[in-house]
Amino acid sequence: MPPSTDLLQGTLDLLILKTLALEPMHGWGIAQRIQQVSKDVLQVGQGSLYPALHRLEYKGWIESDWGASENNRRAKFYSLTRAGERQLAAELQHWDRMSAAIALVLGGAPEGAA
Amino acid sequence: MMGELWTRLRFFVSRRSRGELDEELQFHVEQSTAANIAAGMTPEAARRQALVEFGGVERTREECNEQRPGWLMETVVQDVRYALRGFRRNPLFSVTVIATLALGIGATTAVFSVVDRILFRDLPYGHADRLVSVGLVQSLEKQEFTLGSFYYYWKDNQTPFESITQEGGVEECDLTEQNPTRLNCASVEGDFLLTMGIAPIRGRNFLPEEDRPNGPMVALISYGLWLTHYNLDAKILDKVIQIDGKPVRVVGVLPKDFEMPRLQAADIVVPRKIDVGVQHKVNSGIGYPMWAFARLKPGVSAEQAQAALGPVYEYAQKIIPPEIRKDFHLKVRSLRDRQIQDVRLVAWVLLGAALAVLMIACANVASLFLTRAAARERELAVRSALGASRGRLIRQTLTEALLLAFAGAAAGCVVAEILLRVFVAIAPAGVPFLDKARLDPRILVFAALLSLACGVMSGLVPALHRPRAIVLAARSTNSGAHAGLRRSLVVAQIAISMVLLSSATLLLRSFRNLQGQNLGMQASGVLTVRMSLTRDRYASNEKKMEFYDKAEAALRRVPGVTAVGMSDSLPPGGWRGGMRYAEIRVEGRPRTPPGTGGAVTSRWVTPDYFRALRIAIVQGRNFTEGERDSSEHWMVMSKLLASRLFPGEDPVGQRVQPGLDAPWYTVVGVAANVKNAELNGEDTPEFYTLRRNFGADWGSHSVMVLETGLPPETVAPWVRTQIATIDPTVPVDVETMQERLSTLADRPRFETALLGFFAFTGLMMAVIGLYGVTAFMVTRRTQEVGVRMALGASRINILRLIVGEGMRLIVVGGAVGLGAALGVSQVLKSLLFSVGPHDPATFVGVAAVLGLVALAATLIPARSAMQVEPVVALRCD
Repeated sequence: MPPSTDLLQGTLDLLILKTLALEPMHGWGIAQRIQQVSKDVLQVGQGSLYPALHRLEYKGWIESDWGASENNRRAKFYSLTRAGERQLAAELQHWDRMSAAIALVLGGAPEGAA
Repeated sequence: MMGELWTRLRFFVSRRSRGELDEELQFHVEQSTAANIAAGMTPEAARRQALVEFGGVERTREECNEQRPGWLMETVVQDVRYALRGFRRNPLFSVTVIATLALGIGATTAVFSVVDRILFRDLPYGHADRLVSVGLVQSLEKQEFTLGSFYYYWKDNQTPFESITQEGGVEECDLTEQNPTRLNCASVEGDFLLTMGIAPIRGRNFLPEEDRPNGPMVALISYGLWLTHYNLDAKILDKVIQIDGKPVRVVGVLPKDFEMPRLQAADIVVPRKIDVGVQHKVNSGIGYPMWAFARLKPGVSAEQAQAALGPVYEYAQKIIPPEIRKDFHLKVRSLRDRQIQDVRLVAWVLLGAALAVLMIACANVASLFLTRAAARERELAVRSALGASRGRLIRQTLTEALLLAFAGAAAGCVVAEILLRVFVAIAPAGVPFLDKARLDPRILVFAALLSLACGVMSGLVPALHRPRAIVLAARSTNSGAHAGLRRSLVVAQIAISMVLLSSATLLLRSFRNLQGQNLGMQASGVLTVRMSLTRDRYASNEKKMEFYDKAEAALRRVPGVTAVGMSDSLPPGGWRGGMRYAEIRVEGRPRTPPGTGGAVTSRWVTPDYFRALRIAIVQGRNFTEGERDSSEHWMVMSKLLASRLFPGEDPVGQRVQPGLDAPWYTVVGVAANVKNAELNGEDTPEFYTLRRNFGADWGSHSVMVLETGLPPETVAPWVRTQIATIDPTVPVDVETMQERLSTLADRPRFETALLGFFAFTGLMMAVIGLYGVTAFMVTRRTQEVGVRMALGASRINILRLIVGEGMRLIVVGGAVGLGAALGVSQVLKSLLFSVGPHDPATFVGVAAVLGLVALAATLIPARSAMQVEPVVALRCD
């Protein structure tokens, strides 16, 4: 197994929402997309992917529908709901604030130490 | 937001099908395989790789399910269902736990509900914690009292109290209206209500002028009287009622919970109207008796008050004749102490016993849970291996413990209610407020929580242990876990049982001594007849004498009655006349030094008294009927008094003066000693004076004793008829001497029965606990026993092995318990009658019984260990 990077709590939800914001997708597709976009840094195992998908669906942020996959197999496609879009926006904003803050701390630390 | 809620609700109601999830996961694996093939793998390798990457399907499935809203609640329902199934599979366990809890909780709650009313109830007075009882005590009267000759000096000169007041006791009085009613009238000082902190719920308190001699006749009536006699009529105020034929104006109604400080029943309270000026002249110059109660100034304790009363106490001492002055002491104690005095020890003993039973019950429950947990170690390990999380396992165990605890608490409520009713039913009349005892929900909750804690703790201990892989691997489970804890629980149970059992046995022996003691008189075939003569019809001694003369003559005519005696009091116990030994003077001898010799009982009797009670005259002769008309005074003394007053001399013909200003009496005979104290008390010397046909001898109470060969229930109606022919308005109370004795023994019987019940319950539980632990050990060691036998151990060796283990627990528990019991029995000392607190027979007997019963509890499982077939034992996993 390739070395996995532990995702921050809640980050997986954000990644899934962001991925689904582009187009409805099945579980496999979501995992693949995240892996590709992150240039193989983020590998989402099914053990955390499917529980996360179910959790988001129970929260009403995404919904699922059976459809045909690219190779014409029955697959379950997930898509973002209205509530999901609002949630994505909120989480993105939150993420920006967090990463900016973390960057500040990390960038400022050497100066402070000097 | 509404949308989100809706989605949740929708998912909560509709279940996802398992197939959908499986299909989704299946799709994932296929995609993964396809990707691997595309990367150049062979189909087999690609599928294998995909499955490896995928990991545990079951776990994912579980986790997806856990995301469902309401999943937590579902698992609770699941846990409960699982637990109930488990209980059904093992009903003995569940029933034992519930029964144990029910007994422990029930007994503690019932006893505490009773004890709470006695020891800790709120007294119905304002700031009751500052109320004290003040007065003198002496060898003849151990309850504080004061006398009019010094009480008013105290009232004016005392410093530690905000106020001090007194009451003059309660006397029977008659409400002489259309329906004459016998009531209890209390007379109190004018500031009584104010000092005690009682406010009338209607009307007003007494006015100062109403407490003066010849002041207006007024009264406060009790709520009960207002309700039953006047139907809560608001016009009761200023109504004039007739008491003993005199008009009295009702000025107020007392609160519902009103009670006199000495707990006498009172329907009417009137001002005492004491003439302070004559207190040094009346009642031989000492003034009327008064029972004083005072309100302490804030921050003053009863002890400080007693010290501060020194100067006024000196004044009182000067009034007491110097011969007896040494016998008197000042006493200030809280009102609560005065009220509960001798019940206090019994209450604490019962409470201790109930708590001991609760402890045994808790230990038993803990032990049962531990045993069950050990037996289920394997099951837990399997469930853990199948993917159950630790939290889930703990929750499951907790659910089981809680379910049992709730069932136990519910059953405990029922047991408590039943026990409480039994207590109230069998309790003697002397235990105050028992009839008002109610189940105390606080205590119920406390006891339930305590047992819950036992269950939860012992249920949790094993669940908190990470189930070890070894449990699965090993052919036999590990029996060592928590064995030490279980053993110490059994030791504790046996020790507590030992304490309970020995205390109960001591009380039982004491009770049997009490019942079996020689009373010195005949009890069977003796009837006692009491009549209360109304004050308005029988105002003078002569009138009373006349009535009793007629009654005596009439009762002699009753068929089957062989003797009719009269007295002012009856042994044993109860009210009786008395004086100090030092007050008795023998003609021709100097006085005995004051303050020595203790108390002497005296009774006014007729000659037939000795015949009716079959009290033997051991020397000299009985009184004669003729002497009843003589102007001389005659006396018969008890053997004990004769031996004290006339050691080595013949008392017959001696002349004795009982009391400082009494006439001289001639001793005509000596009677056998009679049990004249309370059943468990020390007998005092006694003398009988002849009740002659002179009004002066009839000042005191009267009671008649009949000897009859016929059954009492036959004679009693005849007695009533005869009395009714003399005066039909006189109430007659007929009681057999046996009944009287039985009533006197009520208190010790009550104590013994309750403690015995607790001891028995405790022993049963301890034995069950011991049996459970031994039986469990045996099951656990079946294999070991098999190996031992295969290696040549005889069945006797096996028996010795198992019983030896049990015996160690019994011996250690017994030894600890014996030590504790010897200490505890010291506390019981004052409840015991002619049994030492360290009575060897009791302790040896109890130890033997406990040892035997406990041994039996280990023998049963040991027998099954002996019957183990080595082949079977070795083959079973």
